[in-house]
Amino acid sequence: MTSLTTSPALSVRGLTKRYGDLVVLEGFDLDVHAGEVVSILGANGSGKSTMLRCVSGLTRFDAGTVSVAGREVRSGELVPEFAMVFQKIHLVPRLTVLENVCAGALGRLSFWQAWAPRAFPTDVREEAMGCLDRVGLASRAHDRAGRLSGGQQQRVAVARALCQRAGVLLADEPVSALDPAAAEQVMRLLRSLADDDGIAVAAVLHQPDLARRHSDRIVGLTAGRITLDTARSALTDAEVDALYAPDYAAEGDLV
Amino acid sequence: MSATLNTTPARRLPVPRRRRSAGWLVTTAVVLAVVVGVHVVAVRETQFSPGALVTGWHGIWSFLFGDSKTVGALPPDLSWKIVGPALGQCLVTFSMGLLGTTFSIPFALLLAFLGARTTSKNVVVYQLARTMMSFLRAVPAFVWGLIFVTAVGLGPFPGVLAIITHNTGVMGKLWSEAMEETDRGPVEALHSAGASSVQTATHAVLPSVVPQFTSLFLYRVDVNVRDALTLGVIGAGGIGFYITQAVQSFQFNVMMTYVLMVMVMVIAIDLLSAWLRGRITQ
Repeated sequence: MTSLTTSPALSVRGLTKRYGDLVVLEGFDLDVHAGEVVSILGANGSGKSTMLRCVSGLTRFDAGTVSVAGREVRSGELVPEFAMVFQKIHLVPRLTVLENVCAGALGRLSFWQAWAPRAFPTDVREEAMGCLDRVGLASRAHDRAGRLSGGQQQRVAVARALCQRAGVLLADEPVSALDPAAAEQVMRLLRSLADDDGIAVAAVLHQPDLARRHSDRIVGLTAGRITLDTARSALTDAEVDALYAPDYAAEGDLV
Repeated sequence: MSATLNTTPARRLPVPRRRRSAGWLVTTAVVLAVVVGVHVVAVRETQFSPGALVTGWHGIWSFLFGDSKTVGALPPDLSWKIVGPALGQCLVTFSMGLLGTTFSIPFALLLAFLGARTTSKNVVVYQLARTMMSFLRAVPAFVWGLIFVTAVGLGPFPGVLAIITHNTGVMGKLWSEAMEETDRGPVEALHSAGASSVQTATHAVLPSVVPQFTSLFLYRVDVNVRDALTLGVIGAGGIGFYITQAVQSFQFNVMMTYVLMVMVMVIAIDLLSAWLRGRITQ
């Protein structure tokens, strides 16, 4: 377990995001320590994905601070320590698995060091092989990414994040598009990255049971505000129902 | 308080050799050889020579700035006695392109439905429709124009007929492909509910492809207005005919005016159709 004296790998304070008059996030706080998995739950439109996008720099935020290992990050700044994993996986399907993983290193390579997917330097390719081995897919290195199953593709996406050498993994509904077995495997992988490699994982999830089983802490969002922050064992069914109440309201009644 | 962020790189592993069969190498070599060979033949057949462009520079010079018997293209003649009548001819060219496209809608629609796998179950009908569309498409509007001129004489009317004929083939193909790309799910759902193939076409396929159809239609108006211009060269009237006349009388400054007007018209149509397509596909 991480000691309380170290500054968190990811620290968010008072994060606020508005689209015009619509407040998507308000005063959002989050700490994720190295080696910790934090799940973020909430109904559709509660601001979960926006929060991850603001932290990763893909979307600008209006107020608040985001820090990585004690260093503050500007709004919209893309830092190599943060890696994103997406619900729709977003590999390049026509490239090989290895080439997709190598792409994680692009941020530290100049254009001429890797001017095409076939032209990654040997040391990057070897490191990418190590990352692939970490997610158990070294044997598929030269297959086209599009030929892998959804769960395998998501593990390749995680390997791409490892090749980025990110200390913080931001996962936006990483298992929503996967069948239960594949989802379980991806969640175990994220858990072991935290336990064995000391990576900080913040995952937006839609499945409370997966969150209970694989995370240390669970944060609940309702309409852009934190309404729940608890150890996983303390999460009650009533709290889960309250979090998803807006979804039931939005779906309407069966008459 | 020290920051503890794991950013140590993964341990390196050797990259396994990518196994490529001898067959793959042979195929690649053969494809490369054929592609290069075809291009060598093409260069010879077209007498492609950048040198001729350089040695012929004085021709380009007299086109641009004139000589003893020609009036150069620069500056263009922007007087109203040239621009005024040309405006009317631009309208003729635009009308040819527009009518040629709209009047081909029923024929294109029929062929598209008969020639799309989603809606056409009979293999013979399907193949016939595809062949028909290929034939109409393979003959350029220009050639259709030459044929219709012998039938109905000179003027914009044979031009409109030529565009209708050619565009039926092109738009039919584009529309049938749009239908084939739609999600088969709703068709299957209605089929399982007992709908006939005509019914699934009108109740599932057509409602799904309306945006694509409209967008492709607007794109074809754009292309057909430019086709109408070239049809003017063979006597279908419009601004294309005026351009030919100006060239034949070596009045390149007048020709330049017409070309500029065509440019403005084409850009205006392009912007309008892009704007409309943007609104439709939203």
